[in-house]
Amino acid sequence: MTWLLAYTPFVDPLDLHDVWWLTLAPLALGISIAYKAVRVPTLEEFWKGVLVMTAQIIMGMIGLGVLVYLVIEVFFGL
Amino acid sequence: MSHTQRETTFAPISGIAAVALPGLGHVVRGEAKRGGLIFLGVMGLFLGGILIGGIDVIDRANDFWWFVLQAGVGPVAFGAEWLHQTRFAADPAIQSLGKVNEVGSLYAALAGLVNLIAIIDAFWPDVRPAPQDERRAGSPGSGGDGS
Repeated sequence: MTWLLAYTPFVDPLDLHDVWWLTLAPLALGISIAYKAVRVPTLEEFWKGVLVMTAQIIMGMIGLGVLVYLVIEVFFGL
Repeated sequence: MSHTQRETTFAPISGIAAVALPGLGHVVRGEAKRGGLIFLGVMGLFLGGILIGGIDVIDRANDFWWFVLQAGVGPVAFGAEWLHQTRFAADPAIQSLGKVNEVGSLYAALAGLVNLIAIIDAFWPDVRPAPQDERRAGSPGSGGDGS
């Protein structure tokens, strides 16, 4: 409670040390919004493109995580 | 195999506006909705980074190379850095550590990098084809990427 009273948004850091990986989703969303806003010829299907790109980034990061896990724990862990 | 080539022009006014504020270059160019979306994405990332890691993630003195990337956001990043150094740098209680600091720094750095794409597009805009032309350009074998 003391921590909550002392907390000032945008000045103090959030206590996300145990769930920091959850920040990947809004990170991917922000990148997708800004990138697609520049790249798409028309904004008709903008949000659909944003959602697809967000999913691609998240799935790509999960895939890379699995790959690195396999390399370190399975191949070099033998 | 035929290739489509997009015409590129040089637009210094919209480019300077894009440097001044994320998305403003596209607003000046008459693409207000696109500029608003760029602002939403870039400022969402930048402010999201500060929200997660605190003002300590914008720190030219101690995290110089992070700040080089974050500076791509423009005067807003320099303003946040000035605010940090003048009002909060002496307070050790606001220092963020570990993963939270890394994630916050990464958010703000990616905001700067994505804004660089928007700045380049504002300085040298492609003349975007009309939707029917884009469909033709995006057909197989035409060389258009459509994204």
